[in-house]
Amino acid sequence: MWIKWLGAALIITASMIWGNFQAEKLRERTRQLEEFRLALRLLAAEIGYTATPLPRALSLVAERLTLREVQNFFSLIGQELQQSTGIDAATAWLKAAQTARHYLYLTPRDWTVLSRAAAGLGTLGREDQLKQLAAAEAQLASHAADAAEKCASGEKMWRYLGALCGMAVVILLL
Amino acid sequence: MEDSWKKQIIPLLPLHLQPLFASLTGHLGQSLEEIRFRSGQPLILHTDWGEVMLGPDGPVNVQQKAYYTTADDLQNIVLQMTEYSLYARDEELKRGYLALPGGHRAGFAGRVVMEENRVKLLRDISSINIRIARQIKGAGLPLLPHVYCEKLQRVRHTLIVSPPQAGKTTMLRDLARILSDGDAAEKRPGFKVGIVDERSEIAGCFRGKPQLDVGCRSDVLDGCPKGEGLMMLVRSMSPQVVVTDELGRAEDARAVEEAVNTGASVLATAHGQNLKELIRRPSLAYLLENGIFERIIFLSRRKGPGTIEGIYSGDFIQEWLRTGGKEDVDKMVGSSLNNYS
Repeated sequence: MWIKWLGAALIITASMIWGNFQAEKLRERTRQLEEFRLALRLLAAEIGYTATPLPRALSLVAERLTLREVQNFFSLIGQELQQSTGIDAATAWLKAAQTARHYLYLTPRDWTVLSRAAAGLGTLGREDQLKQLAAAEAQLASHAADAAEKCASGEKMWRYLGALCGMAVVILLL
Repeated sequence: MEDSWKKQIIPLLPLHLQPLFASLTGHLGQSLEEIRFRSGQPLILHTDWGEVMLGPDGPVNVQQKAYYTTADDLQNIVLQMTEYSLYARDEELKRGYLALPGGHRAGFAGRVVMEENRVKLLRDISSINIRIARQIKGAGLPLLPHVYCEKLQRVRHTLIVSPPQAGKTTMLRDLARILSDGDAAEKRPGFKVGIVDERSEIAGCFRGKPQLDVGCRSDVLDGCPKGEGLMMLVRSMSPQVVVTDELGRAEDARAVEEAVNTGASVLATAHGQNLKELIRRPSLAYLLENGIFERIIFLSRRKGPGTIEGIYSGDFIQEWLRTGGKEDVDKMVGSSLNNYS
């Protein structure tokens, strides 16, 4: 009998973990989008106020971020450019994005905005570069607001759904 | 001359061209003056003995065998030179050049975008000219007795004139170094030298730091317009000698005049072949008519860069101008100071 109870507990726990994971994804996406917004603002400040060249500017941005995943994204681009492998900043950005897709919880729509921010990176004049970064940041702000709204309503739902699904399975099996 | 340029220039070139330049050894590597990239055109190297085309396997004699520069090559070079950040160097690019590590420079040509009658930016770059900086220590020594008055222990207001690539900046840089360092053995004191390096050619500054030796008592104002820079230096750094390159505009002449009035000696250069050509430029004619310069030195490439063609005293030029400046100046008795200081 106790094996049945153990099995039921395991099913419910797994299901709750899955629910929590889904809720976590929602919350993490919001945090990551906010962190990317901060990163773009920091990058714009480096470009606008001190005209720091990209390899150094990207490393400085990475140093000031707190979310390790987003930090890695900017460090990767900075390192790629510092190695002078012959690829330009936009290509290095897209290459880092390919890698980061695996560990960031952003949606394809978010990546589209981030990819657009890379277009012409480093090949524009200062004003145009700042405009481009500001546009991407504004778009990410709207995505972040949307994500926060979804998180507020969806977080609890996923948690309950996780637990309830587990219970439903247990009831069916018992 | 050493070919240390390789360390500074090769990393800025596209990866596929790097081995080609690394293989330039011997006389060619040591005498290289310019590397010319033009979109869709052969890659050409200029040396002090002529030009050479570069093919995929090295120097070639036939144009068809030369390496043809692509638009991608140019884009790649510009991005490498600006550290993938055009915005970081857009002020320099607007003026058509970039200072590179080691004191070298890259000049650009392409499509100019104007805004309110001023160059806003240079885009679609179609030509790049990398000029290799060669510091020749001692190049200025033959001119020193004319520039430095041993009796009064002061530097004469001097204008060095030559066509492009005849060595006037090399001479100017070396004179600045010699005057700045001084020479205890010759009882020549070191002077406080202020250099206004509008186009980063004299000191070859990269990120504000001189890459070429301009002496231990030199202060460099890099990338600053001459007119403003000369007065800034005079006010803030109390130089005994101010050095600047390529006078030509009216505001340059005014600034030189003001600097002279503050008591600083002026060492400057100007483009030109001879006196007649020089006085056709109103600002330079004004300086000569008013006897601002005490020595005017003409250089050419006749026997190699830095060939001294003539050295004139300011008084003589003033006199010559007073008589209408028509007489052939070189045929006038005692016109040139070439043989005595």
